[in-house]
Amino acid sequence: MAATATYPPPPPYYKLYKDYVQNPNSAPEPPPPIEGTYVLFGANYTTDDVLPSLEEQGVRQLYPTGPNIDFKNELRSLNRDLQLHILELADVLVERPSQYARRVEDISLIFKNLHHLLNSLRPHQGRATLIHLLESQIQRRKQAVEDIKRRREEAQKLLKEALGTLDGH
Amino acid sequence: MDIISQLQELVNSIAALAFNTFGTLQRDSPPVRLSPNYPEPHAANPTEDAANVAEQPKLMSAALVKAAKQFDALVAALPSSEGGEEAQLKRIAELQAENDAVGQELQRQLEAADEELKQVQELFSQAADNCLNLKKPE
Repeated sequence: MAATATYPPPPPYYKLYKDYVQNPNSAPEPPPPIEGTYVLFGANYTTDDVLPSLEEQGVRQLYPTGPNIDFKNELRSLNRDLQLHILELADVLVERPSQYARRVEDISLIFKNLHHLLNSLRPHQGRATLIHLLESQIQRRKQAVEDIKRRREEAQKLLKEALGTLDGH
Repeated sequence: MDIISQLQELVNSIAALAFNTFGTLQRDSPPVRLSPNYPEPHAANPTEDAANVAEQPKLMSAALVKAAKQFDALVAALPSSEGGEEAQLKRIAELQAENDAVGQELQRQLEAADEELKQVQELFSQAADNCLNLKKPE
């Protein structure tokens, strides 16, 4: 007893590929890649994957902007700031417990800055990974070229030897 | 796990340790005497509180400081970014050009080796035929 609904039928596009074996050009081309924004299951997605800056999210940026940020020092100073704020929170809870809200806000601001800084390291990491991949690929290709050259020379040598033994026979 | 993911995990764990510390202390600390007018508050469980209440802040703050030190160590272990984005992109372009050149060299060598292999196979089949023809069964 089929109480549940059956699966929907496959999309009818397969009929367009009837003569694909004889003439590959008679069937439609695959759709081009999507650019810009697209809608998926009722939600809007974008193909432009860039990290939104902190100001766009309404969060104050604690480390200086500029083309080249010194990630290590900024991360270290943010870490020290974080520890100081945690101590301040502990102090405030002992002395003036009603003023905790501002301190907790400060701590969450520092955390948001930390995560944003770490996320902005990711493109750099991606490019460094690409460089490493290319270097190792070049290394492997050079190795393969050397190997092929060596084997060819060995084969030539063997052939000459064989020729020599045949002639001298 | 790569170092940036480790750093992110560590940041999240520092946050977790911090609010666990404060939450546990707030929940488990014994009542304190506020004003000299009122008598000492009666401690709820005199046996277990005395031991734990002194231990826990020490342990938890030690864990917090350890996590912060781990963070500093990981930050020091970050590979220093030589140059910036443009330098990296330039290096990538150079490597791509070199990769193409080496790839073409490899292709040439491969084709030449294929040629020679075909010739050797041809020779071998001729030699095998000659051997077969010479060795007539008596």
